[in-house]
Amino acid sequence: MKALVLLGCPETPSQTPLAVYVFNKLTKMGYDVTIAANPAAKKLVSISDPEGYYKLNIIDLERTLGEISEKDYDLLVGFVHKDAAASFFVTFDQILNTRSLALVFSRDADEVEEFVNMIQESGSNATIAAVRAFHNPSPIKVKFDRAIKEFE
Amino acid sequence: MSFCLDTYLQQSDNYEIHASKAGFKDCAMIIRFKADDLVYIKPGDEVLGVRVIGIPPIPIGFDHKKGTVFLPYTKPCHGTSVVELPIDEEEIEKIRKLDTGNKK
Repeated sequence: MKALVLLGCPETPSQTPLAVYVFNKLTKMGYDVTIAANPAAKKLVSISDPEGYYKLNIIDLERTLGEISEKDYDLLVGFVHKDAAASFFVTFDQILNTRSLALVFSRDADEVEEFVNMIQESGSNATIAAVRAFHNPSPIKVKFDRAIKEFE
Repeated sequence: MSFCLDTYLQQSDNYEIHASKAGFKDCAMIIRFKADDLVYIKPGDEVLGVRVIGIPPIPIGFDHKKGTVFLPYTKPCHGTSVVELPIDEEEIEKIRKLDTGNKK
């Protein structure tokens, strides 16, 4: 089983630790996990694992977008905390046409609602875990832990 | 060699940005407002050598008098922009084949 974890813009502090957390969790669930991120988000994640303990497999987001095809992955997990991240998630979701989970978060509750609506209006069947959070990764981790159970 | 939008935007100044660092829905509205002809495509469909990112139905607009196309262009940290650039008839016909007809 293969899983693709989609990172958004790295300006939210919660994303980097959660990327490592999600990678570890999915790996333990038996997925062969790949993280797709832009160059800055890639560096933040890879520097977080200096000894290579997690054996993080990180690839370039935009190159991946150009190369993927339907069913290349069995699971898509996306970090959605900006309008652009919602657009990227919906696009990957439609191309891959596979099971998917959107982790929607923002410091602004209206933005959380807006991003959820964007995903739902796209016709996506994605499971959506949404919470108001920004600096503190714990609320997102709790939502992810609950939501990922349906993919076990 | 086929056209590649990313390379074009880096190497040419013959294009116009009508909105930048915006939300996708605002950009879609600008395209619908500015274009005199529209097609609607799916996220991930390839236009001018790149997969278009967005929420369906994604409008791609044309100004036939000027011979230009309007399309949304999204980057993770910079949001979505509306780019207008010259296009030839052959590329317009390729885009027309992607039309889903779904405007909602």
